[in-house]
Amino acid sequence: MKCTKMLCQECATQWDGIWHCASCLGTARGATVERSPVFAWIGVVGLSLLFLYLGARVMVWTGAMIAGLF
Amino acid sequence: MIRTPLSTTSVLDEAAEVVSLTASPWAALLMATALPYRFLQALFIDQLIEVHDSASSYGNLLGATANVIVITIVIALAGRAIYARACRLAAARGTAPGREAWRIRPAALACYILTASVTMLVGYVSLFTIVGYPIAVIFAGLAVGTVEMNERVSVTRPFAHIFRHAKTVAIPVALTMVFFCALFVALANLAAAASLATWLASAIGGFDAPNWQVLFSPGNRRYVLLLFAGALMIVEPFWIAANVIYVRKAGAEESGDDLRAWFDELRSDELRSDELRSDELRSDELRAGEELKEVPA
Repeated sequence: MKCTKMLCQECATQWDGIWHCASCLGTARGATVERSPVFAWIGVVGLSLLFLYLGARVMVWTGAMIAGLF
Repeated sequence: MIRTPLSTTSVLDEAAEVVSLTASPWAALLMATALPYRFLQALFIDQLIEVHDSASSYGNLLGATANVIVITIVIALAGRAIYARACRLAAARGTAPGREAWRIRPAALACYILTASVTMLVGYVSLFTIVGYPIAVIFAGLAVGTVEMNERVSVTRPFAHIFRHAKTVAIPVALTMVFFCALFVALANLAAAASLATWLASAIGGFDAPNWQVLFSPGNRRYVLLLFAGALMIVEPFWIAANVIYVRKAGAEESGDDLRAWFDELRSDELRSDELRSDELRSDELRAGEELKEVPA
């Protein structure tokens, strides 16, 4: 345990093979939270818009092709 | 609510239960968000049939309709994501979800719009291949099933979730085939309901009811297209619920949660039978006591 507190086994929680108290576990969990990177957002939104635009174009193209077949 | 091992029938069984829990208001919300999309889809097909082989000359008209369809798709996808969350909450708790179903993570919604737009594009490209379109439908189902798994925004991770669940492809394929058949069942029921409504309305009078018989007949192309749109909207909540349940059950099988749930269920059954036994013993004792009182000294 990082804080070197004495705890019974029931009050401690094992994480990655190491025993932690509730506050240490909370700090450890908080430290691992990653913020969504801006570039990922730009990538996802940009690609979504691109695919939606292409989807509209392909919808018209496929529709016109199929309508021409019958 | 994980009760049985992963199979098509167990997924469908639990999906039906989840739909009954989420019918009001979440299935209604799903239908309301899908309504403009399905209506415009019917209009687009109607325009294509109208212009027939000169469709290439009407690029602006068809393009404008397609652009509006794409806007309505985004609204429909948001509705699907909310409904998928409602299904997940209902499956986890066994009760109807409340307002928390609205609280969908923006990252999950963004990832879902990305995966759905890719599957839509692939679906339209592969429309000619016949086999390609059902594959795109399977991936669209897995995309909605894995919505809640996207905790962070990523371009690749949502696709990784889909491919991970597509490894055992038999159940998603079976589900797609079942829902394809269900579509025609819904279509027949909807057509029968519309005919019944027209017949009942014709008895009221006072408005142009006789013309309705002509308008609401299979000879009217627009009516048939709208019936298909309606059938798709009826089947959609079950399709989403089935995909959410499939992803949930497949994940539980991987992590061993299904065994844990099974043990919990067995334990609760045992406790319930113990309680019943002790209740029976208590009532027997009471009855014996009353009989003793009744015996004259």
